[in-house]
Amino acid sequence: MKSYLLATLTVLLACCYIGTVFAADSDAGEMEMLVFPEAYKAMKVGNGGTISGVVKFEGDVPEKKALEITKDKQVCGADEKFDESLVVGEGNALKNTIVYLIDISTGKDFDKDAKVEIDQKGCKFTPHVQIVPVGERLTMLNSDKIMHNVHIFSKINKSVNKAQPKARRKMPLKAVKKAEGPVEVKCDVHGWMSAWISYVPHPYFAVTNEKGEFTLEDVPAGEYKLGYWHEACGTNSKAPVAVTVEAGGTITQNFTLKLK
Amino acid sequence: MRIRTVALLLILFGMFGVLSLTYAQNAPEASEKGKQVYENSCAHCHGTEGRGDGSAAENLLPKPRDFTRGLYKIRSTGTGELPTDQDLFDIITEGMPGSSMPPWDTALSANDRWEVVAYIKTFYDGFKEAETPPKQINLSGKVPYSEQSVETGKALYTELGCVECHGNIGRGDGTSAPDLTDEWGFQSWPANLTQGWNFRGGADTEDIFKRFVGGLAGSAMPAFEGDSFPGFGLTAEESSRMIELDNKDEMTEAEEEESAQLYEKYDAAVDIALNLAEGTELSAEEKQIYDDAMKVVYEKSWHLANYVKSLMPEKRPEPAIGNNVLRSQYIHGELPEMDNAAWETLEARYFPLVGQIVIEPRQFNPTIDAVNVKSYYNDTEVAFLFVWDDRTHTTDETDEETGKTLEDALAVQFPAKVPQGPTAPKPYFLWGGRLPVYLWHWKASAPEQVTELTAKGVNNAEVQEAQGELKAQATYTEGQYKLWVKRALKTEDKKDLQLDPGVFVPIAFSAWDGANGDVDTKRVMTSWYTFVLEPVPSSKRFIYPPVIALLSVGFLFGLRAFVQRRNSEE
Ligand SMILES: [Cu+2]
Repeated sequence: MKSYLLATLTVLLACCYIGTVFAADSDAGEMEMLVFPEAYKAMKVGNGGTISGVVKFEGDVPEKKALEITKDKQVCGADEKFDESLVVGEGNALKNTIVYLIDISTGKDFDKDAKVEIDQKGCKFTPHVQIVPVGERLTMLNSDKIMHNVHIFSKINKSVNKAQPKARRKMPLKAVKKAEGPVEVKCDVHGWMSAWISYVPHPYFAVTNEKGEFTLEDVPAGEYKLGYWHEACGTNSKAPVAVTVEAGGTITQNFTLKLK
Repeated sequence: MRIRTVALLLILFGMFGVLSLTYAQNAPEASEKGKQVYENSCAHCHGTEGRGDGSAAENLLPKPRDFTRGLYKIRSTGTGELPTDQDLFDIITEGMPGSSMPPWDTALSANDRWEVVAYIKTFYDGFKEAETPPKQINLSGKVPYSEQSVETGKALYTELGCVECHGNIGRGDGTSAPDLTDEWGFQSWPANLTQGWNFRGGADTEDIFKRFVGGLAGSAMPAFEGDSFPGFGLTAEESSRMIELDNKDEMTEAEEEESAQLYEKYDAAVDIALNLAEGTELSAEEKQIYDDAMKVVYEKSWHLANYVKSLMPEKRPEPAIGNNVLRSQYIHGELPEMDNAAWETLEARYFPLVGQIVIEPRQFNPTIDAVNVKSYYNDTEVAFLFVWDDRTHTTDETDEETGKTLEDALAVQFPAKVPQGPTAPKPYFLWGGRLPVYLWHWKASAPEQVTELTAKGVNNAEVQEAQGELKAQATYTEGQYKLWVKRALKTEDKKDLQLDPGVFVPIAFSAWDGANGDVDTKRVMTSWYTFVLEPVPSSKRFIYPPVIALLSVGFLFGLRAFVQRRNSEE
């Protein structure tokens, strides 16, 4: 009887305080995502071409935002930390941009020896943007010897929230089955820690370095759409750049990005 | 013949039972009926599309579950697994304490609840795509509660980092607590482990074990399953040795080799656990390694669950009504100061606080559970000790929306004049109205000060001109406030409440958690309770009234006799 009343009361209350219905922003959400081919087949690529270039930032560079270190100051606050959602280097070079082929369906296999790792050092994820092949394990390192928790906000794959206690130096995570991304990685213990990963089905993804440079190698000759993603500048998924790669050739494609 | 038919039928039913058990999912196929029940009873909060965005969702925190991602906090299954049908059915039936989700055990028939289970599963494709039923957490190795188990669990509580959010002694006041959000970006406070009655999924040791091992999907609470434990695959001794070696500044060659060997064993076990999670078939030998490793880990998890269980009372304290009315105890001489051990001999009275939702601004998502009160008095004064849990110590924060200053606070409310008799009207419980109330208002920013107010409604409160009659001391430690207040029983101020032993006085409380946005009427509070200075018959001061009464009676008799004599003389 009591719970019936409670239930009715809650619903009544609910009716009384009709708020605004959340607007569905699935459109905006999709625009922020990478685009993957329906299927991808790995094969040996002989005499492939290379796409390289530089990504630059256009506009007034906002002042670097210092992160507020609220706990574990000895480990986390040894040096000043800045928000990494926009890292602009010399000559407006834009770091941490993913540049990739949108519509490739056959090409080389992943480099199986490449380490897929993110370190938690000084309560900061390094690198800030990481590419994770579908079917491979992302290994989380803990150089800090303090507690972190790896919280991956996946939506297509199951989200992950796994404790990494101080004594857990190296924690490989279960491989995922579906391409997805980018998704944010956070640490709830240190709310300011943030990184982005993408689970990708093929190896034609690059992340720009501090000089804004990227290189995609061993691309089979052909025509492709070249896409990018940047945390603060968004994507060109709606209007990717068309490129033509010739066997053994090298093409240069630069990008200039603005804040979204 | 008939017997044989019955036997055959029984066997058939038996087989059916076994068959349905192998896939322990008991919800029917989704139907129009389930949709109907959902739309009538659930959609207001959870939305017609199951996105947790119903018309009432805006005011609620924790937010109504978004069913489209298949993330459920309260499960009997491991991390990354979907809940079982039974899990969903149980949540609907029992509700979620501490949230707006009520129990539906009487409002909906069991049949309707099963229909709803089937229907909400249609919001997430993962249920349909799943090839095998979700893996349930194995509860068979339960370690019985013992002091030793609690000790072991306590060490793990620190080692595994539980303190970061739940605080040193579990009051949800860890250093990460104020910054936690769920995957939808909404504030999510860590559980106060000393208040099991507010646990969403129950507070039996088994419940605690399941939450710890499986995590609370979508929240900040991670899963501590299997290889989360440092030294997974090692025996308890080996893993402490591994950590010991890790913490050495320098290792000898032999030690380095020892460490490397331990790590090799550890990495191999982790690899096996991941293989299994990824769906790889294990060899018999690997299976053995995995089972042994899980046995060690689960044993540790039971110790941890036992420790958490030890932090809370067996059940929620009874509210201060009936036999539990707040009785101030008489004491000879000086009243005890805040730190005096005399307070420990008194049992506290428990006043549950609820969010104020009568007038704007309202508090739909309270964070303070209750205030616990003790009191002593002597011939001239009364002292109170108020104790309440608050995850954060907030003295000066600015509300982003309103620009108002937020801080923790407590108010004790009495009627300005004691109602004459139990049926006499009391002032309106929300800071009075036509009948005024007399208030003590304490704020965390000025911990040694209590302000006296007279109020005829929340927007009609006045600071009394005469102040300074109250003494106060306060502390905040490990997520808990202690406030000590002392006042004279009788004061000169006409606006003050005057106190007499044996008189039942209405009392009520309001509390504010600044970090939860509490300010003005956005607060938690109680309605009227009762407080009394417990008369002590043996005490001298209580001999006087009967003596006076006797004397008066004697005087009356005398008077009558005198009058009678005079009358007769006339
Ligand atoms: Cu961290």
